[in-house]
Amino acid sequence: MLSVDRRWLYLILFVNIVIFLLAPLRMPASISPPVQKFYDEIEKLQPGDLVMISSNWSASTLAENQPQLEAVITHLMRKQVRFTIISIEAQSRDISYRLAERVTKEKGYQYGEQWAHFGFVPNLAVAIKGMVTDLPNTIKQDVRGTAVAELPVVQGVKSLSEYKMIIDVTPTGSVPVWISYSPKNVKILYCPTSVMAAEAYTYLDSGQIKGMITGAKGAQEYEQLLGITGLGAPFANTISFSHLLIIAFILLGNFAMLMNRLQARREA
Amino acid sequence: MGVLTNLMAQQTIWRLPEESRVLFATLIVAGAFVLILGLIPVLQTLPPRGRRAIIVTVTFLAGLFFAAEFFLPVDWTAIFPKDDPKRNFLTPAIQPAQNVLQIIGALALGLGTFGLVRLHLRNTVQRRAQWGYSIVLLVSFVVMATFSILNTLAEKKIVERGPMLERGFSILFDYTLIQLDAAMFSLVAFYIFSAAYRAFRIRSVEASILMFTAMLVMIGVVPLGAQISPALPTIANWVLAQLNAPAQRAIEFGVGIGGLAMAIRLWLSLERGVT
Repeated sequence: MLSVDRRWLYLILFVNIVIFLLAPLRMPASISPPVQKFYDEIEKLQPGDLVMISSNWSASTLAENQPQLEAVITHLMRKQVRFTIISIEAQSRDISYRLAERVTKEKGYQYGEQWAHFGFVPNLAVAIKGMVTDLPNTIKQDVRGTAVAELPVVQGVKSLSEYKMIIDVTPTGSVPVWISYSPKNVKILYCPTSVMAAEAYTYLDSGQIKGMITGAKGAQEYEQLLGITGLGAPFANTISFSHLLIIAFILLGNFAMLMNRLQARREA
Repeated sequence: MGVLTNLMAQQTIWRLPEESRVLFATLIVAGAFVLILGLIPVLQTLPPRGRRAIIVTVTFLAGLFFAAEFFLPVDWTAIFPKDDPKRNFLTPAIQPAQNVLQIIGALALGLGTFGLVRLHLRNTVQRRAQWGYSIVLLVSFVVMATFSILNTLAEKKIVERGPMLERGFSILFDYTLIQLDAAMFSLVAFYIFSAAYRAFRIRSVEASILMFTAMLVMIGVVPLGAQISPALPTIANWVLAQLNAPAQRAIEFGVGIGGLAMAIRLWLSLERGVT
């Protein structure tokens, strides 16, 4: 059992994922405190408030970050909040722009009037410091080539401090940069992948981030709070049974090791 | 000297009037070219010790600028009455300096692309091993770059977004690049599964505690855990918030202090490999 060909293991996991991804089984999630805080913070926003979304994920983490971003944009539109999107990852610029275009078109949100995409900025710390001082001259133009100063959505906005909130959707550790350089009056919410979430609990504990959605499972909880159907639920259910499978195989591996040792002792 | 002091006092050296901006920019670019063209032969003829001295000096001055801007006191109105009391005389230079860094970063991107294309062109021309893959790479690079550039120009309304561009970019980006990228990263899950089965062994008390806690968290954070028992999500959240957070805090303190020490070593060129 200990020397089983790993391709069998790959096949078992693959079958497990496919079955539970396609199965119509949907389990409700237990809402965790960080997600509840995230939801509550956005609920406090008033119509017309301005939010910055920092979308830095690429296709590698699509399964975790895409449901998060879709749910966040849906919630912001529901609250009639203005938002702008910025990306520090080149691929994310196109991914987040196309995703936001699709989601906002479905709900009738107008580009330029209610939302905008500021495109790709190569250096986050530089960009944040510049946006705090002079946002229109730091970003200069949006993805469509329109000068930021001429965009109705940020008409008259000179600084990042006029924003109410920053939402960082990212697989990287960029939230400490936002915490360090953004104005202290602007709240920060965080949407990391599951791997990065463990590090963020320190910021959650200190209040430097006000809420957190962790991976696909967090996205499912958030979708549940919003009462919408998204990708979070099927992904989280698949993850559930994959975790169960991993635990089962870990126990099986240890059981096999124990049996081997007992047999060796008997033979000795 | 008086002109320079005056300009610094008025904080206008970084914000020139429109008519002198083009001239000043041209002078800077021309000066940079001359400097680089003159510097390359000098660097090549210098002995390693001389090269090291130049690199160490430039590194130190570049780091000194940012450190000085951060630590120098604000409010220089006693010396420059027209100064802004909320910043020192170096603060207006930060944005242009950081713009320069971004340009250098873009240069590195161009350099990397050039190197990659040159390598694979050479493989193809010289028919080296697996040169077929080099052709695939070069063709993919050209096709993807073409559609991406045209797509960006279409977004800015510089070119028209025709159905061929729309469909082509969609096929290449949405249906090929993104899916392949996601698939490549997803392979990690299979490796983890295989490694978990083969390597996660309970050989000591500490390993047992680690394993048991990990399993509790793994099953507690997913919806299945809540179905098995309502206590599992509560326990998992408690472990993450009350056990994990203090440990992460301690690690981050250590990493931060270590990072500071390493930054100082790099700034002072105390690390090996500086030639």
